Amino acid sequence: MEPKSTTPPPPPVMGAPIAYPPPPGAAYPAGPYVHAPAAALYPPPPLPPAPPSSQQGAAAAHQQQLFWAEQYREIEATTDFKNHNLPLARIKKIMKADEDVRMIAAEAPVVFSRACEMFILELTHRGWAHAEENKRRTLQKSDIAAAVARTEVFDFLVDIVPRDEAKDADSAAMGAAGIPHPAAGLPAADPMGYYYVQPQ
Amino acid sequence: MPDSDNDSGGPSNAGGELSSPREQDRFLPIANVSRIMKKALPANAKISKDAKETVQECVSEFISFITGEASDKCQREKRKTINGDDLLWAMTTLGFEDYVEPLKHYLHKFREIEGERAAASAGASGSQQQQQQGELPRGAANAAGYAGYGAPGSGGMMMMMMGQPMYGGSQPQQQPPPPQPPQQQQQHQQHHMAIGGRGGFGQQGGGGGSSSSSGLGRQDRA
Repeated sequence: MEPKSTTPPPPPVMGAPIAYPPPPGAAYPAGPYVHAPAAALYPPPPLPPAPPSSQQGAAAAHQQQLFWAEQYREIEATTDFKNHNLPLARIKKIMKADEDVRMIAAEAPVVFSRACEMFILELTHRGWAHAEENKRRTLQKSDIAAAVARTEVFDFLVDIVPRDEAKDADSAAMGAAGIPHPAAGLPAADPMGYYYVQPQ
Repeated sequence: MPDSDNDSGGPSNAGGELSSPREQDRFLPIANVSRIMKKALPANAKISKDAKETVQECVSEFISFITGEASDKCQREKRKTINGDDLLWAMTTLGFEDYVEPLKHYLHKFREIEGERAAASAGASGSQQQQQQGELPRGAANAAGYAGYGAPGSGGMMMMMMGQPMYGGSQPQQQPPPPQPPQQQQQHQQHHMAIGGRGGFGQQGGGGGSSSSSGLGRQDRA
């Protein structure tokens, strides 16, 4: 059994003294927004609980925890909600494409901008696992199709990814990894691991 | 709640690669999607255009999927406005439970800042507020840099807001490296290598010999 050392204290202890003291003025300019009290109000949350490991090994579950811990760190570092990685106006237009949608609160596209980033990261990670199984360094459409075929939560995307792509991807995946059926779970190397493999 | 436009600086024109304006409106800009995808991959990985376009379509479907479920809930409860909590509920219902906890914190933070902004605007003139808001992006970019992710994206968006071209996005390698990230890199490396050791990821360490975290890679280039 692998030892699971999930210790929340180390990150702030390591990061705080070295990274933040030198440039406090530059990093957090004076302004109408007071960030220190906000940080004090809710301290960094504990690591999220491990996802069900019925289809994942302990290592994969641990890496998932690290992935979500990183998400929390990024969110805590967010001090300005005008700089989104995705344009809010476009998100709103996509939401309004549904005729039943009437009014959208200002916070809704903001939530989506973050949720979509998580979604893109997860889909890309799982697609990359398939590319690696085929010993390629270029992510292809068939890799995305394989990720969709293998991940139950992505079932709503089966109409987006052509069936031929998914079928070919599945055959290739099964042939390469010896997986008896698509829902067998993640491949041996969990794609989330790339967040934390940092050779120099 | 009022239906208001809380748009960031004009959306990127990177989506112009798609054929017609209407077609373009159905997807998020491919440059933004591509940038986020790169954060999930090793530095030396490449992404085919087909893969980028497929993920573009998948993201739009994700938005419609969640929005549809949230909209149904609002109709059942005789409410007209979809808010953040409705989206979080829909994600839980549709199997994206893992996303909800981080997003709760994000939404909480957004609401706090919105409240502060409302109070600030009551006591300050428009121009002063604009200037003050203009200052924040730098701090945000620095903070994002410390987090190790999202710095290039934040920089690009910040430049857009300032009316400059997407320098960071279009020519990332020409950006001079800031002095602070190297220290942060070292911290991240030491920290994560330590965690890897405790977690017994010997194979991961070996595999890493041929690649590096896309986040750090981007930092090096930026």
